[in-house]
Amino acid sequence: MIRAEGITKYYGAGKNRFPVLKEISLSVEEGDFTVILGASGSGKSTLLNVLSGLERPEGGRICYGETDITAFSDRELTEFRKENVGFIFQQYYLLPNMNVDQNVKMGADLAGNRNYGDIIDAVGLGEKKRQYPSELSGGEQQRVSVARALAKRPRFLFLDEPTGALDEETGRQVLDYIVRLQKEYGFTIVMVTHNLNIAEMAKTVIRMNSGRISDIHTNEIRKTAYEIGW
Amino acid sequence: MVVGIKDAAKLTGISVIMGCAVLICTMFLNYYFDMNLIEDQLASEQEIIMYHAQEATVRVICLVAGGCLLATSVVMLFFYIKHYIDTHKKELGILKAIGYGSWKIAIHFWVFGVSVFLGAAAGFGGAFLLMPWFYALQNKDHFLPEVLLRFHPEVFALLVILPTAAFSALAVCYACIKLKRPVMLLLKENFQVLERKSRKAEGMVRGEKRERTQKTEASFVENLKRSTLRSKKTLVFFIVFASFCFSAMTQMSFSMKDLSSEMMGAMMLLIGLTLACVTLLLAITTVIRGNTRTIAMMQVFGYSQKECSQALLGGYRPVSYIGFALGTIYQYGLLRVMVDVVFRDVEGVPVYEFDVPVMLVSLVTFAIFYEAVMYYYTEKIKGISMKEIMLEG
Ligand SMILES: Nc1ncnc2c1ncn2[C@@H]1O[C@H](COP(=O)(O)OP(=O)(O)OP(=O)(O)O)[C@@H](O)[C@H]1O
Ligand SMILES: [Mg+2]
Repeated sequence: MIRAEGITKYYGAGKNRFPVLKEISLSVEEGDFTVILGASGSGKSTLLNVLSGLERPEGGRICYGETDITAFSDRELTEFRKENVGFIFQQYYLLPNMNVDQNVKMGADLAGNRNYGDIIDAVGLGEKKRQYPSELSGGEQQRVSVARALAKRPRFLFLDEPTGALDEETGRQVLDYIVRLQKEYGFTIVMVTHNLNIAEMAKTVIRMNSGRISDIHTNEIRKTAYEIGW
Repeated sequence: MVVGIKDAAKLTGISVIMGCAVLICTMFLNYYFDMNLIEDQLASEQEIIMYHAQEATVRVICLVAGGCLLATSVVMLFFYIKHYIDTHKKELGILKAIGYGSWKIAIHFWVFGVSVFLGAAAGFGGAFLLMPWFYALQNKDHFLPEVLLRFHPEVFALLVILPTAAFSALAVCYACIKLKRPVMLLLKENFQVLERKSRKAEGMVRGEKRERTQKTEASFVENLKRSTLRSKKTLVFFIVFASFCFSAMTQMSFSMKDLSSEMMGAMMLLIGLTLACVTLLLAITTVIRGNTRTIAMMQVFGYSQKECSQALLGGYRPVSYIGFALGTIYQYGLLRVMVDVVFRDVEGVPVYEFDVPVMLVSLVTFAIFYEAVMYYYTEKIKGISMKEIMLEG
């Protein structure tokens, strides 16, 4: 379980210092699919980065089970990410000089995973292993980044608007792959989006409004990627 | 404005190398011209031999120092321009897309000549500050009639104006060649890869199989190390050059102390160290800058700082020691030639032998220097965060 207690985060310095996260508390059950919703600039990405140990909050604690990651040193935090966390970003951030296989290997090597070829097949890119990111469509690139994140067998997968740069059809496809792989591997998903429809796929929906959580609710009925509107 | 003065000012590497080259060449060339003026005053046999020996030294030094450094500046200029185009290809691509021709864009690259001018002018000025001292030293035993220091406009034209003009023209031409490619290749994320691949595709088939098995077996970090080395071959050259300078110049400066004078030795040491530092820092900074995304992503995924720096910089370590070895051989060869050929007829030149202790001291210093630089950059990698990358979009 991920538990955040009273998280505050500031940006800027001196007179320009302003709070981006204000006393945020929440918890995420292991194996869940949680979506963070909110307007642009409400602090979603910041919350995701803080929760996943990419950035440090100025106040509050984040615990994974009994482990308080806010007390970690930089080195421990890196080690923690290596063992537990996977990331998918809106802009893919694939390594341009490496082909699909090598990009996925970046994740696989961290977990000593030698069968990462299965994951490339699972996201439907078995035929394109030798291609470079610049030769792939946006949807294909995002699927590579899904494979890269999952090849390290994370316990927690953090996604920041993974479909933000994709069209409806490709977006659904990517989401469908992610959900199917979650069933298979059982990792926890925390996803940021501003697409209200995508939230219907999640179990828990957290709404944010200018640095605060305004609402948390649980979906009784969850829809699949092909049932939601767009 | 496509390229600003500010971009050109960043070419400190070229300025420094140009400065060193012009400094040395000005001193010797100016001396050469002034020496020519006293040729008819030569009386004794001794004076004539001394005169010709000095004339020969001047030629060798001008050619070796000037030639090597000039060649390096050209490579560095090309590298900078290519790097500039690579990092600004989106803007340049858009300019081309809306109808600017390659020449029209490339013409702005003349600004790169400014950095050459700055370096050359500084070197020229510096030479005139040092020359009174240098002239006295060249003739400290008064084997020759007194050589008076004069200003020769042709030296200024040859060493300051000409390089500036030539480098500006070269920059424009090279930029034009680099920009003469389909617009889409400029706009697309990574056109070098596409180019490289299509070039490889032509002559592939045969070597492909072996490469495949090889690539999949190597770890990610190994792969990255190789592709970093391969993607910018010019950087390999610079690292070789840096260690080459370090090794050749430090060792030569010790021998110079015996063969010529302390001042020559000190000057050589200073120039060698400056060149080595500037080039090495420049090369490593470029590697890091060009890979900020990769570094950020690796850190996000949980690769440690050490692994990141190992993957990106580790590949250059063997290369730098090769450079060191080359520099050692080079300086030995050069001094052998100077002593055996140029000064053959001059009496009182000390025997020259290869100096093992000096080589070892130089090697150890180099190793410490190199590792310190690597350590510094490994620490610097820590500062690269995903946040910056995300904000720049
Ligand atoms: N490094 C930074 N320095 C200063 N301000 C920042 C920084 N990063 C984010 N901010 C500010 O913090 C606020 C929240 O940013 P954040 O990226 O979390 O928003 P978001 O909810 O993800 O928005 P979007 O949906 O547009 O991605 C914004 O006002 C932003 O301008
Ligand atoms: Mg965001």
